[in-house]
Parts: sequence; C-alpha cells; structure tokens
Amino acid sequence: MQLAVEGEEKMSIVPKETIEVIAQSIGITNLSPEAALMLAPDVEYRVREIMQEAIKCMRHSKRTTLTASDVDGALNLRNLEPIYGFGSGGPIRFRKAIGHRDLFYTDDREVDFKDVIEAPLPKAPLDTEIVCHWLAIEGVQPAIPENAPLEVIRAPAENQIYQQKDGPLIDIRLPVKHVLSKELQLYFQKIAELTLSKSNPSLFKEALVSLASDSGLHPLVPYFTNFIADEVSRGLNDFLLLFNLMHVVRSLLQNPHIHIEPYLHQLMPSVVTCLVSRKLGNRFADNHWDLRDFTANLVALICKRFGNTYITLQSRLTKTLVNALLDPKKALTQHYGAIQGLAALGHNVVRLLVLSNLEPYLSLLEPELDAEKQKNQMKSYEAWRVYGAILRAAGLCIHDRLKIFPTLPSPSPSFPSKGKGKVISTEPNKRKLGVDSSENRSPHKRLIATDGSDGGPSPMQVDRPTGDANPPQNSVRPSSSEQASDGNAPESRNAKEKDDSKGRAITRKAILDQIWKDDLDSGRLLVKLHQLYGDRILPFIPSTEMSLFL
Amino acid sequence: MDPEQVDEFVMGYLKKKGFNNAAKQLQEALHHNNGGTFNSTDYHNDPELTKLIRSFSQSENDPTRYRDGYSKLRSWAYNSLDLYKHELLRVMYPVFIHCYMDLVGKGHTREARAFFNSFRKDHEMIHLRDLQKLEGVLVPSHLEEMEFARSLRQSKVNIKICQYSYDLLLQYLHRTESTLMLGIINEHINFQVYSGQPNSSSDDIDAVTIVGSFQETADHINQKEIQWGLLEDSLEDRLEKTGSLLSDSEKGQGESKDGDVDDSKKRSNEIGKQGSSLKKLKKDKAGNATAKVARQETSIVSPAPRVKPELALPVMSTDVEESILEDLRNRVQLSSVAMPSVSFYTFVNTHNGLNCASISHDGSLVAGGFSDSSIKVWDMAKIGQAGSGALQGESDTNDQNVGPNGRRNYTLLLGHSGPVYSATFSPPGDFVLSSSADTTIRLWSTQLNANLVCYKGHNYPVWDVQFSPFGHYFASCSHDRTARIWSMDRVQPLRIMAGHLSDVDCVQWHPNCNYIATGSSDKTVRLWDVQTGECVRIFIGHRSMVLSLAMSPDGRYMASGDEDGTIMMWDLSTARCITPLMGHNSCVWSLSYSGEGSLLASGSADCTVKLWDVTSSTKLTKAEEKNGNTNRLRSLRTFPTKSTPVHALRFSRRNLLFAAGALSKPAS
Repeated sequence: MQLAVEGEEKMSIVPKETIEVIAQSIGITNLSPEAALMLAPDVEYRVREIMQEAIKCMRHSKRTTLTASDVDGALNLRNLEPIYGFGSGGPIRFRKAIGHRDLFYTDDREVDFKDVIEAPLPKAPLDTEIVCHWLAIEGVQPAIPENAPLEVIRAPAENQIYQQKDGPLIDIRLPVKHVLSKELQLYFQKIAELTLSKSNPSLFKEALVSLASDSGLHPLVPYFTNFIADEVSRGLNDFLLLFNLMHVVRSLLQNPHIHIEPYLHQLMPSVVTCLVSRKLGNRFADNHWDLRDFTANLVALICKRFGNTYITLQSRLTKTLVNALLDPKKALTQHYGAIQGLAALGHNVVRLLVLSNLEPYLSLLEPELDAEKQKNQMKSYEAWRVYGAILRAAGLCIHDRLKIFPTLPSPSPSFPSKGKGKVISTEPNKRKLGVDSSENRSPHKRLIATDGSDGGPSPMQVDRPTGDANPPQNSVRPSSSEQASDGNAPESRNAKEKDDSKGRAITRKAILDQIWKDDLDSGRLLVKLHQLYGDRILPFIPSTEMSLFL
Repeated sequence: MDPEQVDEFVMGYLKKKGFNNAAKQLQEALHHNNGGTFNSTDYHNDPELTKLIRSFSQSENDPTRYRDGYSKLRSWAYNSLDLYKHELLRVMYPVFIHCYMDLVGKGHTREARAFFNSFRKDHEMIHLRDLQKLEGVLVPSHLEEMEFARSLRQSKVNIKICQYSYDLLLQYLHRTESTLMLGIINEHINFQVYSGQPNSSSDDIDAVTIVGSFQETADHINQKEIQWGLLEDSLEDRLEKTGSLLSDSEKGQGESKDGDVDDSKKRSNEIGKQGSSLKKLKKDKAGNATAKVARQETSIVSPAPRVKPELALPVMSTDVEESILEDLRNRVQLSSVAMPSVSFYTFVNTHNGLNCASISHDGSLVAGGFSDSSIKVWDMAKIGQAGSGALQGESDTNDQNVGPNGRRNYTLLLGHSGPVYSATFSPPGDFVLSSSADTTIRLWSTQLNANLVCYKGHNYPVWDVQFSPFGHYFASCSHDRTARIWSMDRVQPLRIMAGHLSDVDCVQWHPNCNYIATGSSDKTVRLWDVQTGECVRIFIGHRSMVLSLAMSPDGRYMASGDEDGTIMMWDLSTARCITPLMGHNSCVWSLSYSGEGSLLASGSADCTVKLWDVTSSTKLTKAEEKNGNTNRLRSLRTFPTKSTPVHALRFSRRNLLFAAGALSKPAS
C-alpha cells in the first residue's frame, strides 16, 4: 500500500500535501487523503492551463519574462478573480526554505503602518520619453553611442564573407585611410632631417619660420607630434636635438593654421620632460638651463592658449611641477626646471604654490648654498642657480603685486573733469598693454638673467635686468610719475564703476577697503620675503613702496 | 482451445467495448446453435484469430503494453533504412500522443506520466507546444474538457507515405502481432499511400501539423480562387502613368523642381533632419534613371493583375493624394545593394509597461500602448525641431530639460480600462485606433487628442487592430478566436471571421483591401475574404504562435513571424511556404516590406532588426530546390540595438525604415 501511495504521489507534480495545506488554509479541515490525491492532478492541469494563458498575455505585452500581472491577466481571461498582492511591478523574490530542496517562499515582510505613513514620498519615476537615433544609414550602422558597439568592429569582416559568397553584389566600406600627398611627405622628411642634423642652423631657422607660418601643414601634425615624442624619449642625451625639437614645438604652436589642440596630450609629456628631466644633454658645456628656460616659456604659452578649453591642463601641469619641486630626492636641475615652469605660468601660481612652500624649501637649500659645506663645485653652482630662480620668481611676484596697488589711492583732482569716453577708451588700451608687457617681460627678463649668470648670481645682477624689464610698461619715468600712473589704473576702473552706480563715495570706500586689505597682505608677504632673502629682495620693490614698508 | 472459452472471451470483449447489440446477437446465436451444428462462425477453428482474441482480452487492462508496444515500434522505426526512416518516424508522433491519451483515458495516470516523460524528447523539437499542452492532461475528464485533446481524439491524422514504407510498416505490425499499435494506427492515422520513391525530408513541413481532417478542409479551402492583384487605378498605377510623362519634364526642370519637393510638408515632417533628406534626395536623383528601367523590367516580368475593390472605399482628398504621390515619386529604390536607412525610436523609462508601439506612415507620429491602460502619442516632428540634438547624442540633456519642467512632450490618451495591446494610425495619421484587454477598441483623434468612439463587440481581450490601407475600415482580432471587420462610422462589426482554433493574435490587411490575414495561436495563418467573410486560405507550417504578419506591396506574398523566431514567406495563390527565413532566435514582433517589395525587415525580441532579400528568396526557390540546397534564406543585414527589443517596424512611403522599441535593462 505504501508503495502504491508513493507511486500515486508521483503522478502529479503537485504533491498531496500541497493540496492539504491549501485546503487547511481555506478552512477545510476534513479533507480526506483520497480526495487530495484526486485533486492533485486536476490542480496541476488548471495551473498549467493558467500558465499557458499567462504566456499568451506575456507575448502580447511584447515581453519575454513572465510577470505576476500576466498571471492576473490570464485569470481575467478565465473570468477569475486575480490574485492580489503580487502585482507590484518588480520581480518577486523567492527564498529557499532551509532544509528543503525545492521549497521556496516569497519574502514578505511585515510592514508597520506607522512606518509607511511617516516615510517620505518616494521619488516620482522618470517619465517615458522617446529618443531617436540612426540605427543604420544606407545599410551601415554608424558608430554612435546609441548603437551596439560590437557590430561596428565586426561589420567589415561580415561584409567580406558576403563578398566571397555573393560576388560583387555588396559594396564594402573599408575604414577611410589617411592619405598624405607626396609633397607633404617630402616636407616632413626635410624638416625631420634638419631637426636631427643640427649642422645647418640658418636653414633650420628658415624651416622654423616656415613651420610657424605655412598653411596646409595640418595633415602633418600627427606625424610631427609622433616624431617629437619619439625623438625626445630617444635623445635625452642630445642637448641640441632637444633644443631643436622644442623650437619645432614652438613653431607648431605659433602657426595659426594648425589646430594642434587634439594632439596636445601627445605633445605635453615630451615638453614637460625637457623642462624637469634630471639630465638634459651629456656634456658639461651643454647649457641645459637655457633649454629649461625656453621650455618653461613654451609651457606657459600652451597653458595660456589652451587653458580655457582644457580646464584640467594647467592644474595637471602645476601638480606635476610642484611635485617635482617638493620632492627633496629630485635633482636640483629638476627643481630649477619646476621653478621656472611655475614662474612662467604667472604670478598667481608663484604666490599660491611657490611662496607658500618657500620657507621649508630654502631651509633645504641652505646647506647646498654654503660653500664650506658643499665642496662639490658643480653642486654648489646648481644650488645657486636654483636659489636665483626662486628669488627671481618670488621677487617678480611681489613686485607685480605691489605695482598693482597704489600706495595712496586718492583720486587725482583732474580726473572727474576728463571726458568719460576718453577714460573708457584709454582703459582697454592700458589693459592690453598690461597683458602684452607681462607676456614680453618674462622671457625678456629671463634671457638677461641667464646671460648675467655666468658667475655666481649676485643680487645686483638680477636687479639690473628687472629694472630694465619694467620700463616697457612704465617707460623711463621719474618715480613720482610712476606713482601717478600706477594710480591711474584703479582710478579708471573706479570711474567706470562710478558710471554704473551713482554712489561714488560708497564704491570708493569699498575699493579703498579692498586695497587696504590687499596692501596688508602684500605687506606681510613682503616682510616675510625680506626675512627669508634679506636685502636681496629689495631691488624688486618699487622705491615708493620701499619707503612705506621699510 | 476450448470453444466455450473463446465464446466467453468474445462475449466479454463485446460487452466491455459497449457493443451490447452485438453481444446480444452473439448470445442469441450461441443459444440458437447450442449443441446443434456449429458452422456459422469460423473463429473457433482459426487458431490465429483465437490467439488474437485472447490477446485482446487478457491484456486489456495492462498499461505496460502501451509502453512495450511503442518502444518496440520506435526502435524498429529508428533502425529502418535511411531511405524510409523519416517517413516511418512521422508515424511515431501520432502513435505517441494517442498512446498517452489512451493511458490517461483509462485512468493510468502514473503510467501515462512515465510513458510521456520517457519518450517526449523524441518529439520536442517539432511539437514542443503541443506537448506542453498535453502534459497537463492527467485524468480522463481533462481529455473531454481540453479542446485540443478532443480534436486530436476525434480526427484522423493524414500522413503521406510511399507504398514501400507502408508495406514495411504493416508487415512489421503483423509479424510482431502488435495489435495495440495496429489499432491505434488504424484508428487515428489516415495513410495517403503513393507509389514511387519516398519524398525527401525537405517536405517535413507538411508533416508538422497534426490537425487531422482539418488538413482536408485546408486543402479544400486552399483550392478557392483568390485575386491577389492590386486595385485598379491605384496610386501606384497613376504614378507609373504620370511618371513616364514626368520623367522627361523632371529632367528639364531639374533643380527647381527638386527644391520644391524638398520644401514639401511631408519632407520636413519626416524627421526634421535636413542633412539626411538632402543626401537621400541626391541619391534618389542619381538612381532615378536606373530605377525607371528597373521598374519597367519588373512589370514585364510579373505584371500584378488589377482587381476591383469589393468594398466601397473612402475617397481620398486631393491634398492627401498629392502628398502620397509626391512620396512615391521620391521613393528610394531599395535592393540588396541599396540598403535603407533605419531610424530607431527608443522608448526610455517605460518601467516594463510598454505593450505595443506604432509608427505613422510618415514616421512623424509614434504611439505607445501601455499596460497601465494609457496611450501616449509623440509628435516626432515637434520633438525634432525642439531638440534636433537628440540625434547627435544630446538626448540626455533634452530629456532633463523637459522632465523636471513637468511639460510632457507627448499626448496622453486615457480611456481604456485594461492593458493596451495594439495601436494603429490611419494612413493620413489623423486617427489612432487602440485595442485593449478591456475588450474594446477605441478611436482617437490626434488633432483633438480625444476619444471619439468606443467599439464594443469582442468578448475577450482584443489582441490586435489594424487600419485598412485606405483608412475608414479596420480589422481587429481577439482572444475570443474571431477576427472582425469594422468601419469607423458603425459601432457594430461589419463581419465576423470565425474559424481559428485558438486566439487570433495578429491581423493584417491585404494591399487591395479585399482580404485580411490573421495569425493565430493554433499555429496557422488564414486569409479571409472581407466581403463574404469566408476563409479562403489556410497557411500551415508554423510551429508556434504567429505573432506578426506583413503583406508584400504587390499583394503576391505574405510574411509571417512566430514565437520561435521563424519567419515564413507564403505565396498567397498557392498557399505554400516559399521559404522559411531562419535567423532570429526569439519572438518576431514585427515585419515590414519595403515600398517596392524588394526587402523585408523583421524586428525581434532578440534586439535586432534584420533585412531579408525578398527577390532572391522568391526567385531562387526552384533552382535551389533542385540542387537540394536547403539554405534558401538570404539575410542581408543584421542591425543589433544596444538592449532594445524591436516592437514595431515601418517603411515610410519613401522607404526610410522606422523602428521602435523599449529600452530594457539587461537582466543581471
């Protein structure tokens, strides 16, 4: 009998016990086992029937996964009450009953009404939208993000297979090849030769001019960037080659017909290498300082031109440089390059990144500078170069700051009588001049500075070039007039703001406050610099300021 | 053997089988002849027959006989000569299901289940759906209740078999005395014996469907004449006439004419993308000369006959007519070398609720039917203007701009009270029809954005609704196993097409409006005469539920796609499958022929759009059949989407292919 019962159980996938449990749950307690056995196959049949209807509903909902709502739909088709409580959209999570192989239950937590009521409303789901894209254009799938990426790569191969099968029926679209004209190839070869040969400086100069001005060179840009990257990595010992390469970079940057931006990422590593590499050139005679200065300018130029479009460019660059500077393990030559690079990026960069680190750095440099402690002539020389560079950077920075702010921002009495138009017209000129001069000044100065640095850098030597460098802006003027002209810039700004808002006194007061605050900052900075540098900083400070601060 | 005993057996058998009259007669005869001369019946003296009778009686209640008999027959069939094997194997399936049903009918549920499970593998490949249905049948009452089982029991299966195979089978059955199998075969199989060599296995499609006497009616129905030609005086006709006139003048006028064309309203509607349209136009111009020639060639090869409309067709306004003519004139000629462009509308954030999508003829309107009973209609022309960037990947910002503002850029149509299963645009795009699980069909105006009419008639969810090619009339189909023809101005259906054995899942109009085709869960496609409401063709061959239908523009062919991903191309006049197109591996939701009928596009749940070469598929059939080449399909291209099942496809009149689907997150 037992055997028979077991056999009977097998005849339906719904076990007898299930029927009994269901019967109990709906309040039938006296269900006989025979009845349960009889019911089991029928239950299975009904369930299967419902599922087949549910599959129909699923198909018509254009889905391939069955959901609770499909079952409800199927029950509806049979005019039955749907089973409530499962149609919550998301898939139902089943849990395995421990200790049973094929027993599952739904994870149904008890929910406290209070929690539900107090919970904040859930975020509204996003509304349905339609997005349109080209799945194919004349039978070819465009490689756009909306399309599946895989097929684009596979497409040519597939076409080829068809080609073999079907003969010339199907056109193949191969990826477009970049074709260079013969002339351009020759041009590139010639330039590359000149860069590498170093034997004919005059011709190379001509080549650089051509590179900087010729139109139609754009197709060569990728080749040049490759060439430069290759040669820099290969020729780190060849000073002249590196210098030539940097010249090529500058010419390319200067060329107005070349759109070099997309290749910057290839170019920058080589350029930065020439700035902060430990060793550039292998001979003692190689003036690698020169190369570093030149490259620093190049870097500044790049940042100025592409800083707007590549927002991360400058920040990444300065990070590299500051890291090089603050790493005591790095060679002094690298520090020098880093300082020059930062200095070329402008006074704000210097103020933020160099001056803040000035004190610890100088203390680090101190032993190297001391002739008694540092016996190595070469090392000592390098240290002094670095010291000079950092002094100059700091000095220029403080000079620049002091120059902007007038000591006594009292308006000149003649000012209000001037025509407005004139004031406004003069202002842009002045601004422009300021920009120009700052651009001109730094390379100019640096060149002179390096010229005069054959011996140990003395404060006086550095002082003189700065004095010379300033005049392009201020021209040769008595210091008293300098004050007046310095006062003019904020004054005109002042005037402009006055036009906008009538309250003269208020604006002027605000400006005065600002200036005082800045002045105080500058003052503190100056004092600090003076402490660090001693009198060597003094030549950078305009005489009027000097009188005020000291 | 004792004659008395034999008599007893015979009596018992007759009684058991319910042949009471015969039993009575036999008894009377026995009484009559009792003790007297005994010559009327010879079965006592025939040892063979006695044995047979004995075997009948003794094993009547033994369920294992079915298993033994079937497995013997099976191994014999599998071990038979290859030449005849496939014919003999065809016999196995009906024997199998009837053995199972016999067992169930006699109440041997356990044995039936065991029998079913041990042999179901053999038949799963072809008959999976049927087996799934039958699997649930466990008690005799189910056999009565289940329609499918009932029809199987009542009808005979037709099997074509060659003379030699037939003889082999009979010899085997007699030799082994497998009377049980013989009985089943006699009872349920109707052999159509033909002389000559057995057919090649390529004919398997005929063997697939087991619908019994249905086959005969199908054959009978398929004899009927149908006129699949295009309507006389159709726009295409007119175009060809005027086209030949225009072709000269067009060349003369040149640019200015094309400029006008470009400015036409439809053009700008099409998608609001000037670049592509210009390109297409250029290509059009270039291909125009050759296309003309090609068109003439094809018309020489197969002049589609012209027929008169049986329905009173609505009159088209001249404006609409002009714009259609314009479109036809500017149609890009597609072929296996000139592929169409595909514009894909992806529904995002549907939360699994999109049941159907529909695209208007010019692609400017897209409707989606949702499981929350709503219908949403997007005007793509407007969206295209507002954010043409959508095509350049700026779609995200576009979405965000619109979303939080609370300004919907679709029209919400509310009215149904159940999931919306289908939506269709009238040809000019001014009306939308939708069908729903609430058993109604609703007519909406896209101009008023309001519900105009609610058509009630179906008793169960309406799976599909389609506007006729000329508007005004529409066809619907439902779970109630009927398809119905309606006109917009009447709330009652004009015709009810009944005959399918299961749900009617999809419906499609013939281009000449005189016929509709319906695809059903009974795995057949039927063609119905709209005027008489009669079934005029039955297409048998699909192995699962038919989900999509498309008619070729010349009215000669029909394509149907099923749940398994098979697409079949049918010749309407012969009702034969020209070629099965295999390639998809999931449900084919949508099919569409290109404007001149050279390409077929299919969209599937496997997230691809495939293009099929129709011309080669139809032309090469004969030659390839001779070569025995089974690889008849020619899939031209497959365009995979990222993760979007393709719900709807439509070739615009200018042969731009529009596709739509809901982005579904890959299951992870």
